Amino acid sequence: MKTKIIHRRIVSRIKLLGIGSIFLFTSCTKNLLDAVPQTTIAGSTAFSSSDKILAQVNAFYSQLESSSFYGGGFIVNNEQRGDEFSQNDGNNSTGANVWNQTITASGSYVNSVWSAAYTAINSVNIFIANVTGSTLISDSLKKNYLAEAKFVRGFAYLNLVQAYAKPYALDSTSLALPLRLSPEISGGDNSLAFSSVAAVYKQIISDLNDAEAGLPVGYSTALLNVSRATKSAAIALKTRVYLIKGDYTDVIAEATKIVSATAPFQYTAGTVTHKLESNIATVFGGSYTGNEAIFSLPFVNASEAPGNQSALAYNYLYPILYLNTAAIVSDTVFSSSTSVDARKSLVKTNASGQKILNKFSHNSVPYNDYIPVIRYAEVLLNYAEASSATGNLATATALLKAVRNRSNPNAVLQAASISTQAALSTTIFNERRIELLGEGFRLFDLLRTVQTLPAKIGNAGTAPSVLPTASNYVWPVPSGEIAYNTLAPQ
Amino acid sequence: MKLSVALLLNSKLKIMRKIHSLLLLFIPFLTFSQQNNKISDKSNSKEKQELQNNVSFTGKVVDARTKTILSGSTIHIQGTTHEVTTDDKGEFKFITGQKYPLVLVVSYVGYKTQQVLVKNSGFVTVQLQYSESDLREVTVSSGYATQSKKDFTGAAAQVNAAQLENKPAQSFEQLLGGQAAGVDIIQPSSALNNTPVFRIRGINSISSGIYPLIVLDGVTLFTGSAGGAVGNDPLSDINPNDIETIDILKDASATAIYGSRAANGVVVITTKKGKKGKAKVTYDTWFSSSTAYNLPHLLNATDYVTIKNEARVNAGLSAGFALQKNPDSSIVNTNWYDVAYHAGLSQSHNVSISGANDLTSYYFSAGYTDQNGFIRNNNFNRKIARLNIDHKLTSEITIGTNISYSNSLNSGPNTGAIPPNSVSASSGNTYNSQYIGTEPLARLTYILPPNVSVYNADGSYNINPNNGTIGYGANSSSLGVFNAWNLQTVLDLDKNTSENNTIIGNVYGEWAILKGLKLKVNYGIDNLSVANTGFLNPYSGDGATARPNIIGGGSATNTYSKYYRTDLVNSITYSTTFANKHHLSILGGYEEIYRTTNTWGATRSGITDPYYSSYQGGWSTITATGNAQSTNGLASYFSTVNYDFEKKYLLSFNFRRDGLSALSANNKWGNFGGGSAGWNISEERFFKQSSLSKVINNLKVRVSYGVVGNSSIADYASLSQYSSGTYEGIATLYFSQAGNTNLKWETSNKTDLGFNISLFNNRVNIEADYYKNLINGLILNSPQSLSQGIPGSSIVANVGSLYNQGIEASVNVHVLNSGKLKWNAILNVSTVKNEVTSLGSGGDVYQSSTFGIQNVTRVGYSVGSIFAVPTVGVNPQNGNRVYVKSNGQQVQYNAATKAWSNLDGTTATAIDNYADGRIQGPSLPKYFGGFNNSFSYKNFDLNIGITFSGGNKLYNGTRATISDQRYFNNGTFILNRWTHAGQITDIPKLVWGDNFTTGFTSTNTANVEDGSYAKLKSITLGYHIPNINTLTGNRIASAHFYVQASNLYTLTKYRGSDPEVSINGNSINSGKDQNVPPNARVITLGLNIGF
Repeated sequence: MKTKIIHRRIVSRIKLLGIGSIFLFTSCTKNLLDAVPQTTIAGSTAFSSSDKILAQVNAFYSQLESSSFYGGGFIVNNEQRGDEFSQNDGNNSTGANVWNQTITASGSYVNSVWSAAYTAINSVNIFIANVTGSTLISDSLKKNYLAEAKFVRGFAYLNLVQAYAKPYALDSTSLALPLRLSPEISGGDNSLAFSSVAAVYKQIISDLNDAEAGLPVGYSTALLNVSRATKSAAIALKTRVYLIKGDYTDVIAEATKIVSATAPFQYTAGTVTHKLESNIATVFGGSYTGNEAIFSLPFVNASEAPGNQSALAYNYLYPILYLNTAAIVSDTVFSSSTSVDARKSLVKTNASGQKILNKFSHNSVPYNDYIPVIRYAEVLLNYAEASSATGNLATATALLKAVRNRSNPNAVLQAASISTQAALSTTIFNERRIELLGEGFRLFDLLRTVQTLPAKIGNAGTAPSVLPTASNYVWPVPSGEIAYNTLAPQ
Repeated sequence: MKLSVALLLNSKLKIMRKIHSLLLLFIPFLTFSQQNNKISDKSNSKEKQELQNNVSFTGKVVDARTKTILSGSTIHIQGTTHEVTTDDKGEFKFITGQKYPLVLVVSYVGYKTQQVLVKNSGFVTVQLQYSESDLREVTVSSGYATQSKKDFTGAAAQVNAAQLENKPAQSFEQLLGGQAAGVDIIQPSSALNNTPVFRIRGINSISSGIYPLIVLDGVTLFTGSAGGAVGNDPLSDINPNDIETIDILKDASATAIYGSRAANGVVVITTKKGKKGKAKVTYDTWFSSSTAYNLPHLLNATDYVTIKNEARVNAGLSAGFALQKNPDSSIVNTNWYDVAYHAGLSQSHNVSISGANDLTSYYFSAGYTDQNGFIRNNNFNRKIARLNIDHKLTSEITIGTNISYSNSLNSGPNTGAIPPNSVSASSGNTYNSQYIGTEPLARLTYILPPNVSVYNADGSYNINPNNGTIGYGANSSSLGVFNAWNLQTVLDLDKNTSENNTIIGNVYGEWAILKGLKLKVNYGIDNLSVANTGFLNPYSGDGATARPNIIGGGSATNTYSKYYRTDLVNSITYSTTFANKHHLSILGGYEEIYRTTNTWGATRSGITDPYYSSYQGGWSTITATGNAQSTNGLASYFSTVNYDFEKKYLLSFNFRRDGLSALSANNKWGNFGGGSAGWNISEERFFKQSSLSKVINNLKVRVSYGVVGNSSIADYASLSQYSSGTYEGIATLYFSQAGNTNLKWETSNKTDLGFNISLFNNRVNIEADYYKNLINGLILNSPQSLSQGIPGSSIVANVGSLYNQGIEASVNVHVLNSGKLKWNAILNVSTVKNEVTSLGSGGDVYQSSTFGIQNVTRVGYSVGSIFAVPTVGVNPQNGNRVYVKSNGQQVQYNAATKAWSNLDGTTATAIDNYADGRIQGPSLPKYFGGFNNSFSYKNFDLNIGITFSGGNKLYNGTRATISDQRYFNNGTFILNRWTHAGQITDIPKLVWGDNFTTGFTSTNTANVEDGSYAKLKSITLGYHIPNINTLTGNRIASAHFYVQASNLYTLTKYRGSDPEVSINGNSINSGKDQNVPPNARVITLGLNIGF
């Protein structure tokens, strides 16, 4: 009897324990709800070490390398809007509407380029805000990094202002872009008034001046020297900015910092030397980090390389774009059977008889041709154009010859093409088309000189000419901005 | 079990032998149950002694209609406790002390209980009438507990085994269309194992998950699409034949027990259990043939050449298209549909063994299905086995398990129908990420020129030597790139597979501690392992490379994903009745759900020799792809209280407190709950006494209100994050997600008013509800102005609100229920009005696209409404399409000059798809439902199912494709194009390269169509072979043979192939038909055998 009672008590206690056990597992709740990502780094610790800060510096550049932006897409878009290429494929996913000038505000390229450039800008702004007061890195390193940040920001704004705003020479007072200079990390800051074209250029120059002041002349390896901004890169970029604005004396002032007074034109500082390669083919198929490269975007790992639709090689060799027979490829440099100009070898003919550009030749995955962003030949041509514009025909001619004779040492420029300022300027302008073909310059050269975008014919149909007065002379502000930024000009 | 599966799979045809093997394997179970029978025999023998010299008689119980024997029927003598059950021949024997005449009460699950008067010792044959409504006392399962439907005050619909079994499908949801009020199922294409659209009471979120929560025997399942280019619906890892019931919980009262997971409704699946009686063995099989239904009519080669050359000339270009001759001088006229589609043959076999005695019930099944779709190379192959056991350990403790293992392999071409991978309950909802790639099969059938051949004369593929696209044939190469692959090469050489190995199971123990007090522990897992492979050949297709470099082209991608969830529930229930009038039951519990997602993979590219055809072959480059790793935790306390007074007044309260790891640190916990009240008016004395009670058998009114949430958001949605990559091979760290430290629960307030009424002796049953789901603090990927440079240009924030409201009614009429001909008709109708009431400060949710904007989510309109620029048609003077700008101005577009002008010819600015587009109507149907009729006559049965839906708009993007004036083939309607001044037509002047006026790159209203339809979904005619048991010497108890046809006819004004077809799957952007393969028409022959 007694044991029975004890037994019952035990049983009832076990039962109570059973009821209680329902709440036993609550102890591990805390861990259960504190799941932390294993594959990303928390925003709060993203600047917590010098290595992380350096990784963020590299990240700015990788954002320039976005496939929508300088990784390929944007360069292709610019060539499509210009007249050097005809479009083979009529699909808008390959930019047929960019080529035939019909893309509108809700077009995907109009949105994606803007978005990619501003993403790079925001990462710079976040970086500046977090690193300016950081004590994790030395002052000299900080100065270097912040200068790189401003170089990237200036470069991104320069491309935005050219693609989306009226050319400086056409209307520098018109509204261009929202100038975002503060970090955006939690959204909600949708609306920001647009700044004028002139204000944007002012900011770009300010950023590049700061960059020049803070950047080192070079880094520890040849690859770093071209893939991260150097003092000479900031200066070289300024020659481009001033040329766009038509500030020729400023172009010359900057150019003379990195171009010797006499041929052979070159620049040497520390371990860095910039000069023309003896053979242009070296620039594209060679080491990529030679003397001519001032700033390039490298693709070292396969995972960095763009996908086929934005890769330059795919676009030029598949080909999405083939050379427009009515444009620069008709120049004797390319078209004459007797031409020995080395640049002719960068153009080939495919099985359909189309002339295609072979500067970027890695036409399969990974599409890892480095993308030259600033090279010494451009600086010489910027300098030449400014010199001609300011009446220094001798210097202009010498610089022009340096570029032309590099590819054809025996080339002789016709006197008529260099004897007058106007003729010389035209010749230099033409040389840019030959030299920089396919590198994304042609459209902006037409825009900065307020020229009509020429009509074109291609297998995808026809593209009309676009007058500087037309609403589609530059790209519209994208719908993704208009829809949410209430201060955007409608 | 594994052995049995293996045995089953070795051969599909020798099924009988396999059943034998299975039976052998189950001998332990059978002997076990026999032993238990012996125990009950013992008690009988005791009785025998006492009742010696008393009367004895024997009898048999059969189905009244089919004469199928009913073994396991219970028979008791009225007024006594003496009860026997029928044996495996359906026979029984009584030895009793009672005197004749006596009354037997005979009952069997699913049949009307019958009383039989026995006057003497002759053999009694009892014929039981099958009854849908008396199938059992209908209960509603919340997954945590079950409740009698009579006492249930929430809104729920139930779908039974009979509605799901024996139909050709890959997953059970495909069969739910039109079966339940409030449940909208859309089959977006018949590519095998494509996840259907599944909505309960509208779309209840914008950025979070919108798929219902699916719970199988207490285990939360993974849903979505996991197969990459080829379909993979994880719910196909459930054998539809194993399902006993599906309870679809709709209102807050029914779903609040799921708290934060209930916003999209809850689907509770209960699998089959063994039923008392001897072991029941069934074998079910079907064979089917599937063909493409209603393909668009395309131009033949001759018309194609005419049309395309006309477009060239109109653009000011040289004609370049020409007819090609075969060696026998006939014209090359390729029908690319024949390359893509065929009649696909499928088969399915299911075996089950089940039974139960007083202590143990068991159900085992094994299934094999091998299905071939109408798309060539599209194959779905599944092997699946399930074991459910429930055993009473002691009178207090019950233990059991439900476990299934399945292996399914889906393979086929990239069809263009499958949405991107998104396994819900593991991530939020992606809106409109469907990429219209160049390889998808359906698109290629539309765009490939009919005047070129599949093969060259030498038997090689007809491929452009430059780049692997289709060869020009007799066409001029100056026409530019035909950016279309040779579909035959793609079908022959490219491969896509998705294979699941899935274990879904639970173990449970239940302890009846005291009278009315039960403790239950349930531990479940869903382990879904998915291996996806893809191979792209280097010759023609997305892996093609420029010639002559075959080496260096191609690619292969393999990914492996493991979705793993454990679910532990401890619950306690207490039920009591006091004063004989008050019924109270209380449930309390604690639950922990832990989920991990691990995915890894790589793409190898640059084939080193064309011999290779898989990831493991020779390649030059490898890059990582599809890597993901995340965890998610949910902790919950929950409680339910049900109370009724004399079954008249019913009250139910649910409460759940959930903590979710994905929310911000200070907002992880949320409280959810609901209450409902019901009044069984027909139980009232005044009602019973009134004359109304003669007509109305049952009348209940219900009201419920509650708050539930949506936990289907990205695992780390609230956190600000940086991701790593490389630049020049050196580490990078970049801002990848803007977090929100205030992210909290999105809540859904659900209101429901309803009634249930039964009339005319239960011949008419009506259930009707009004509902409103109001979602507040909706978690939205709130779009941000692009210039902020925020990753993804969006921030997750609680900024939106929307509601769904409507009426649902289900009417079940036993039109004829006596006599030989029986007819049961069930009609269900639902309406949904969906409206977004706030998107915060963000504005429209849409995606700019190269392919135009088809869907926009805007305040004041239905989620994902169809969007397009208005066009008023074609200017008869010049053949230009005329558009209406946002300011009302009419402008026309000359596709040849790319110039915009007003109708008077003056220059106008271009239209912009977003700026000038307008909402055209909802993409969600405003009403939908089903009308299901079942007839039986003697041994025949006939089922006719009709589904209908309407009030929505569709964007007919496929029509844009087949209007395209590139090299694309066109629909025959293009022959009505504008050709001369004054001509009135809706097809603009053809201009080479034009894909703008066609509505492809910019949407226009010429392709916006009414999506209403009524569909003859299926007709099934079946025949029960009579007296099969005597014919086969009792070897076979029942045999049923049937023939079924599905998707026979669609009544619709929609000009595309099928108004259900859509490209964006379960996203908010529905109603877009763009290059999706059509739906199938399927003819099935089937056989069900019971042993």
